[in-house]
Order: sequence, then C-alpha cells, then structure tokens
Amino acid sequence: MFRYLMSRFAGMLAVMLIVAVLVFLLTRLAPGDPAALMLGDQATAEDVARLRAQYGLDQPLPLQFVYWLGEVLQGNLGQSIFLQQPVTAALAERAEPTFFLTLFSVAIASLIGIPCGVVSAVWRGRALDQAFTGVAMLGASIPSFWFGLILIQFFSVKLGWFPVAGYGDPDVPLAERLWHLVLPACVLGILNSALIIRFTRASMLDVLGEDYVRTARAMGHAERVVVLRHALRNALIPIITVIGLTAALLIGGAVVTETVFGLPGVGNLVVSAVLRRDYPVIQGALLAIAAVYVLINLLIDLLYRVADPRVRF
Amino acid sequence: MKHPVLTALRRTVLAAAVGSLLFAPGFAAERGGAANLAMVGEPPTLDPMASAADLVGTLMQHVYEPLYTFDAQWNLAPMLAERLPEVSADGLVYTIPLRKGVKFHNGREMNADDVVASLKRWADLAPRGKATAKEVKSIEARDPATVVVTLNRPYAPLVAQFALPTGFAAIMPKETIANPLTEFVGTGPYRLKERKPDQYVLMTRFDEYTPRTDAASGYAGKREALLDELRFVPVPNANTRVEGSLSGQYQFADLLPVESKKRLDNQPKIKPLLTKPFGFPYLVLNTRQGVLANAALRQAVQTAVNPTEMLLAGFGDPQFFEATGAHFPAGSAFHSDAGTARYGVADAAKARTEAAAAKYDGAPLRILASQQYEFHYRIALVLAENLKAAGFKVDLQLVDWATLVQRRNDPALWDVYVTHSAFLPEPMLSPPQLGDDAPGWWKTPAKDAALTAFNGETDPARRGALWAKVQETVYAEVPYIRVGNFNALTAVSPRLEGYDPRPWPYFWNVGLKQK
Amino acid sequence: MAAAASASVSSPGLGLALRKLFRRKVVLAGAVALVVLVLLALFAPFASPYDPSALKVLERLRGPSALHWFGTDEFGRDIFTRVVVGARYSLTIGALTVLIATVAGTLLGLCAGYFRRLDTPIMRVVDAMMAFPDILLAIALMAMLGASLFNVVLALAIVYTPRIARIVRASTLVVRELLFVEAARALGVSTARILFRHILLNTLSPILVQATFIFAYAILAEAGLSFLGVGVPPEIPTWGTMVAAGQQFADQAFWVVLYPGLAIVIAALSLQMVGDGLRDMLDPRLRKSL
Repeated sequence: MFRYLMSRFAGMLAVMLIVAVLVFLLTRLAPGDPAALMLGDQATAEDVARLRAQYGLDQPLPLQFVYWLGEVLQGNLGQSIFLQQPVTAALAERAEPTFFLTLFSVAIASLIGIPCGVVSAVWRGRALDQAFTGVAMLGASIPSFWFGLILIQFFSVKLGWFPVAGYGDPDVPLAERLWHLVLPACVLGILNSALIIRFTRASMLDVLGEDYVRTARAMGHAERVVVLRHALRNALIPIITVIGLTAALLIGGAVVTETVFGLPGVGNLVVSAVLRRDYPVIQGALLAIAAVYVLINLLIDLLYRVADPRVRF
Repeated sequence: MKHPVLTALRRTVLAAAVGSLLFAPGFAAERGGAANLAMVGEPPTLDPMASAADLVGTLMQHVYEPLYTFDAQWNLAPMLAERLPEVSADGLVYTIPLRKGVKFHNGREMNADDVVASLKRWADLAPRGKATAKEVKSIEARDPATVVVTLNRPYAPLVAQFALPTGFAAIMPKETIANPLTEFVGTGPYRLKERKPDQYVLMTRFDEYTPRTDAASGYAGKREALLDELRFVPVPNANTRVEGSLSGQYQFADLLPVESKKRLDNQPKIKPLLTKPFGFPYLVLNTRQGVLANAALRQAVQTAVNPTEMLLAGFGDPQFFEATGAHFPAGSAFHSDAGTARYGVADAAKARTEAAAAKYDGAPLRILASQQYEFHYRIALVLAENLKAAGFKVDLQLVDWATLVQRRNDPALWDVYVTHSAFLPEPMLSPPQLGDDAPGWWKTPAKDAALTAFNGETDPARRGALWAKVQETVYAEVPYIRVGNFNALTAVSPRLEGYDPRPWPYFWNVGLKQK
Repeated sequence: MAAAASASVSSPGLGLALRKLFRRKVVLAGAVALVVLVLLALFAPFASPYDPSALKVLERLRGPSALHWFGTDEFGRDIFTRVVVGARYSLTIGALTVLIATVAGTLLGLCAGYFRRLDTPIMRVVDAMMAFPDILLAIALMAMLGASLFNVVLALAIVYTPRIARIVRASTLVVRELLFVEAARALGVSTARILFRHILLNTLSPILVQATFIFAYAILAEAGLSFLGVGVPPEIPTWGTMVAAGQQFADQAFWVVLYPGLAIVIAALSLQMVGDGLRDMLDPRLRKSL
C-alpha cells in the first residue's frame, strides 16, 4: 500500500510539473511582452525594462520557469493586472460559488443518472431503456448556454421562480445565495447526467450477471431487493468514480454556464481574464484548476482501492 | 462680473435635459434601504482621473465631487466652488472661491491646497486634463478658500472641463494623492465601502456630508444621500440586465438594448426611461497614416456610408435614433446645417468614382470595433458592407474594448474605428478629435484656424456662427463621421423615487419606497 | 479479442457492415440527418436565393414566412440561408478538428503504446493536458492564439488530441502482444510497417467511434467558444456565432436563436447516434462498459 501510494504520488507530481510547464508556455508564447501587458498602455519604456528585470524576463526561458515555479511553490501566483489584487485572493473569492455549483450539479446529475441507469439495466433493451439512452444522448447534444437561455426565459422571466443572474446581494445569507445556483445547477446536472446513466447501466449489467446476484435471486429474494441491495451496492464503485470525475471536470469546466448566469465563479474569472488580457490570472487559475482535478483523481483512485476488496496491492 | 460663455451655456437648453419623466422637486422620499444598480460592466479602475470611461465617472461621482457641475438645463453651476468664477476682462484669469467647512470622508476640511493638488494631478493624468493643461499657465492657491487659474490664451471651455464627470477633475485630500490611487477619499454624499471585482462596488452614506444650500437641479445644488447603500453590480450581458430588471432583482439597469422597451412597458416591477438624445455614434478616421491619410479618400468613405442603415442596425426602431448631420439639435445656439450636404449621401457609385479619382490602390481598410457595445459592432458591419459596395477592400477587426483603446493609439494599426460619445452641451468637449492628439490625429491649417477662432471667442452671439465654420471643416476634411443621434434606454423600479435620467446616472436625492 | 474481431468484421464487405450498423432505427435516423446536413452544406449556394451576408436592415427581425422560412435576423439577413451556410462552417470546423486530432492523437498513441521508452513521457503530457476541462483549455489556447476560424480548429484539435492518444495507446498495448504481431516481428517486418499495417488497422474501430463523438463535441465546443466571444469572429456565420449574436433578441424574435440552436442539437445528436451505432457494431463489449 505504501509503495503504491508513493508511486502514485510521484506520478501526480510529474503530471503537475508538466501542467506547470504547459501553463507557463501558454502565457509566454502569447503575443506581446508580458511586462508591457502587466503595466498597461500608459507605461514608459523604462517602466517596462524595470519590470522585465524585476521579473527576470531578460533571463533565458528555462531560468524564468524556475523562478516562476519557485514563486508558485511559495503560494504566490502573481498579481492580477485588472483586478489589482493577488491572483490567489481572486481565486479564493471565486471558489465559493464554483464549489457549491459543482456540488449541486453533481447531486442533480446523480439523482437523474443513477435511477435511470438502474432502470435501463434492469429492463435492458426495452422501450424505457432505449428512451433513457436517447434522452442521455440528447442531453449531451444540447449546448449548455442555449439550454440556460431557455430555462432563464421560462423559469426566471416568465414564472419568476428563480433569480435571472448573479450570486445574490452582498448581505444576504448563504441560503439565499445558494438559491441563485439552482437553475445553473439544473442545466449542468441535466446535461451531465448522460455519462452517469451510461456508467450506471453498464456497471449494473456487469453486476447483474454475477453469481451472487443469481444466488440471491435463486434464494427467492424479491427482485427489488436483489437489484437495490445486492446489485446496486456492488455496482456503486465505478459509479462513484464517474461521479467524482464529473465533479472534477465541472470545476472550471462550468465556464459557459457560469457566464450565462453571471455567477462570479472560477470559470467566469478565466473568461473575463481572457477578455481583459489578464495573463497572471489566466495562468494562476489554470494551474489551480488542474491541481484540483489531479487531486480529485488521486482521491478517487485511493477510494477505489480502499472500497473495492478485489483490488489488492 | 457676468461671464459671457457661461451665459451662453445657460441659454443652451438642450433636449438632453428632458427625460421622459421628471419629478417635481420637494417630494418626500423615504430615507433608508439599499438599491441594486445593474451597470454595464466592471469599472477598469476606481480612480476618477485615470480612466475616461463613463462607468468610472458614473460610480465615482458619488464619492468625489468637482468644483463645478451642470444643472438640470445644462448650465454650469458651482459644486465645491462657492459660486461661478470671476473672470478677468481679458479672459485670462479665473478666480474660484471655494466653499468653507466641506469635509472629506477622512474628517478633514477641504482647503485650496487640496484643490490645487487635485487639479494638478488631473492635468498630469486625465486625457481631458492634459488637453486643458496646454491652455493653463498656472494654478495657485491665493488663500485657503480661493484658487486662481491663469491661462495662456482665452479658453472658453475651461469651467465645463472642470465639470464633466468622465475622467473628471475630482477634488481629493492632498495626502491621499498617489499614483496609483489606493485610498478613495472624497467629499461626496457616499463613501466607498467595498469593491469585490466582478461582484459589486458598495457605497454607504457619508453621515457628515456637507450639502449645498441651493435647491437641487440636475447634478447641481443640494445633494442628500437618502439610500443607506448603493450597490453597483457589474452585469455585462445586456439581456441579463433586462431580465434582472423584469424580475425585480435590480432597481436600476443602465444602457439596455432599446428594443427591449416593449418588454419593459406595463411591468409591475420596472419601468423604462428614454433619454433623448443620449449620444452619437461616430467613426474615427486615421488622418495620419495609412490609406485614409489621403483626405480625398476620406471623402469617398463619407460618400459611401449609409448612416440610416447603420442606425437602424444599431438601434432598431426609428423612435430610438435620429439620422441627422447637424452636431447640435434645433434650438441649440450651435445648431447649423453647414456642411451637412455631405452627410448621408450613401451613394456607392459616386463613392467608387471618388475613390478612383483619389487613386485608391485597393489596400484594405482596417476597421476596429468592439462588441462591448453591441451597436458598435452592428454599425461596423454595416460600414463594412457599405464600403465593399463602393469597391473598397475591408478588413474588419473585432476586438474587445480594452484592446481597441490600446490599438487606436498606434497610427500604424488601423484606418477606421467605431465609437460613441455622450451628448454634451459644449462643442469643445466631444468628440476628442476636435482637440489635439486624440486618435485620428487630425491636424490641418483649416482645423487650427476654425478652432482657434471658436475657442478664443467669448461672445456667445458670435460663437454659434464660428461653430458652423468648425462643423463645415469637419465635413470637408472628414476626421470623423458622425453617424447620427441615439436615445438611451434605462430601466428604473417604480419604487425608486426622485430618479432623474441623465447621461451619467446619479443616486443622491433618490429614495426607495418600502414595499 | 475485441480489436482483432473487429478487423475481421470490416473485411467481408461494406454492405453487410452497413446493414448491421443501420439495424437500429435510431442509428439510421442519425445517419440520414447527417447526410442531409452535409448535402445542404455542400450545395449551400443553391439551397436559397439569398446572399447570407447582404444587409437589408429594413427587413430585420421578420418572423418565419414563405419568403423567409426561418425568418430574418437583426440585419435583415435570411436565417435559413445563414443556417445552411453555417452548416458549412460548423461542419468544416468539426471535421478539420477531428482530422487533425485523430492524426496527431494516433501517432502519439501508437508511439506511446509500442515504444516502451516513449510511453511514460508521452502519457504524462497527455495526462497533464487532460487535467484541464476541455472548454477551459480551449479558451486558454484561444487567448494565446487570438480569435480566428483557423485558431478555433487548432485549439480544439489540441484539446481533443490526448483523448485519441489515450485510446490508441490502450489498443496498441493489447495488439502489440498478439501472436500475429509477434510473428511479423520475428519475420523481420519493419517497425513502421508493423505499426501502420498491423497495429493501426486493428485499432481503427475505437478510433472511428471516438472520432465520431469528438466531431459532435467539437461542434458544441465551437458554439460555446463563440458564445463566450473568444471563438470564431462574429461576422462569420457559424451556428455558434448566430446563437451568440441572436441571444439579445431571443425574447422578441425567438427564431433568431431557435434555428441555429436546433441545427447544433441535430448535428451533435445525429453524430452521437451514429457513433453509438458504430460502437455497437464494431465492439459490443465497449457499449456495455462505456
């Protein structure tokens, strides 16, 4: 177990190092001098030269990378040009809506995906199965912004049930702010349930063919008990894996939905940073999002190994 | 003494002053509450001098105040100054008396040293400040309550320059002056409480505010913070601003797509307000470098464009715009039809002939436009089609507004860009191409002659005629093409009492009726 | 073995394979929809009498009618014409993205799967790239490349290359150990020949399946990028730019966003239906496990 952990950890570090290189290259390959960009268009040539020296931009690229990585390892992601605050602070501010949005979306996706998947597996090949498969595919074919626009028109504007956009007034309690997340979470949850339906179905089909399920049936347990207690419980591990992956991808992957609903989340931060040419923010946010993804992946992997007795070290 | 230019401005009663709804003064509005104000975006900075963006001025005019401002009829009126300046007979020395006992948010009393330091910072930093600085010989404090401005030559727009709220001559305590500004301390009825980028800018009532005693009128007179808190919320998506207003989420929403007016009519939680005319879109032509440095080709472009089509594409229904070549509406002292025969010709064949005569070599015209304002983009698209029809090659470059603002400063990068300006009562204030060094870099003997004559003239009766000459020169040399006038749509909650539609919306003297 | 079995499926003849593929009506429907879209895109200039970019501002925002089947947009342009021309752009973007991503991903995957020494470095980079959500990586790439049609293709191709690489590597790892590869190696067949003749041929079916799905995702991603304003410049009519520009008029002229949006849904859905059918036909086991 310890050796496995160590090797897994080393792999993760290697991936993170490459992520850092990618992010670094992305910003350095961008057209324009980063120093001039950071200072804006009112800067003089001397200002730019001074900043270039200060940030070591006159050094060779590999040295620059080492310097930047050193700062990152000390928790310094740089200073936002537009927001006039440290990138870490900007990220911290945006973390809350993104966290809850991810949580709600995954919950909705699972609430739809698991029952539909189970039903599909149990009545495999029947009309219901085909209907769910079709709906899942349809869900994966609808652009999220288009769906979001339609839901806003109907539920917020026509019916007035939900707020149109934003994350609530500054002084409202958390509960009211979370109310703002219901509609976007529905968009993401419904559209992302497709993968969970598929996985649940496949995983259930695998388990339903296993000996112990047949045994349980032979022992005369009701079909409901067999499916829910014996089969589903054993099928859960791969389902949890896919739920975890969905969550990991939604952090930062919810960009378009966050933008449609005007949520001040991490994805929205990246989009506005791109439109504002705020390279330190793009760089820092990408790094943070990738780090979270890698970490969640590691956790899922460990969970998988702890939970599934068949996986031995 | 009575200042002739100020009198002229006072006479310049502009339609801009007439909103669709004006409230009788002296109503009893409720005190308290907070209002959510949906603005067009996140302000690039809170430093009122560092950016000429309307948004920055709109927000920060609640925190900072200028020496002078405009009243309901767009006359100049004193704000932090005690009264209008005394001007020497030769028009060179302006003596500005300051109000006494005005407190900054840090508790200190404002004095002449603060004003001098602030105006100097403005002259160094703000684009309009820099332009004004060229006319100014010195700014000095004569005593703690008097500031003296001495000019190099007579410059009629001086006081109006001090009054405009964009890139504005805000008065700040001497000790907070720094670059960049880190403390936002002013004398205004509201003080800055918190800024959370992309979420809100919060302002709360400044309890020790020292109001003027004269009656409120436009931006002038007595100001009172009725609302406890102002929440400026950046909502860059215009649709979201409309829908948020319909659902009652915002008590005010700025610059809505005019076509959403139908939806805002007869709604319980919001009502539409039309400000007309609000402003004018215009196309700036690069007179320094590239294809359009050739004045004859600029003429050909002017012949090719179809302003009516542009306005229709930009604003939809004709009730939201007016296709006119005159810079000022009928009734204004500056109204004139001089040169407007060249406006709205929209003749592709004629333009093609003109371009050929001017030896157009087929080099593409680079058009810069942004989508920050949807109508800029739509006008640019019509422009591109108009030019193509007249045989021009076109390279339409859509960039974000920040990039456009950056690129237009480099004459090597563009030929035309699309922008707009709010409608201003004083000709010298807008568009900036009438001054020196603005992008486009229009500088010809004819321009200098026309503008020197106009700016040096202090007699209002003769200023009108001299302005006609300026307008005629604009049409002859085509440094920019004025597309026409447009009206702006805002939405205001019926609960918001005392709101007066203005180009830069303000929320003092505005109360929120409890439900 | 699945991959080996599929190789034998493709040999007995296209007719049989197609019949097998279209046994499910859903798949047939998807294929028909796709063919219609492609034909429309190919013959776009003949599909309508209107010029997709000619402005007729006076006829703006007219509802669907006999003259304008899908109505007109905010510049008075015919929406049906633009949806058809948009098919050209959107499908081309999708197809080019798939092509580039498949070629690059296949090369990377083959190398990683076949040459043990290259495996770790290639797959670490692939892992690193997949640590970013697709759309986010695409946005970041667009920020660096600048908004243009070609850059959208390039950015999306970069985003989807790792997916193909992963799948090809996994198949290669399996096929590499099969008897016929061993035999070829023993007979002294060149490495390139083994890679491209034997291994590639046997990994084609998962590549084909994945490519179909990536085609669908690329069309959706293009729309998303254009919606955010970092994709195709708005004056080029892709389905994405049309929805993005029309959203402001959605309430008073729903047809402005409805039809291009439906086109996206239909294209993405039919591609996924075909992909699902392909997966079913080529590898029944894959369908169950994915």
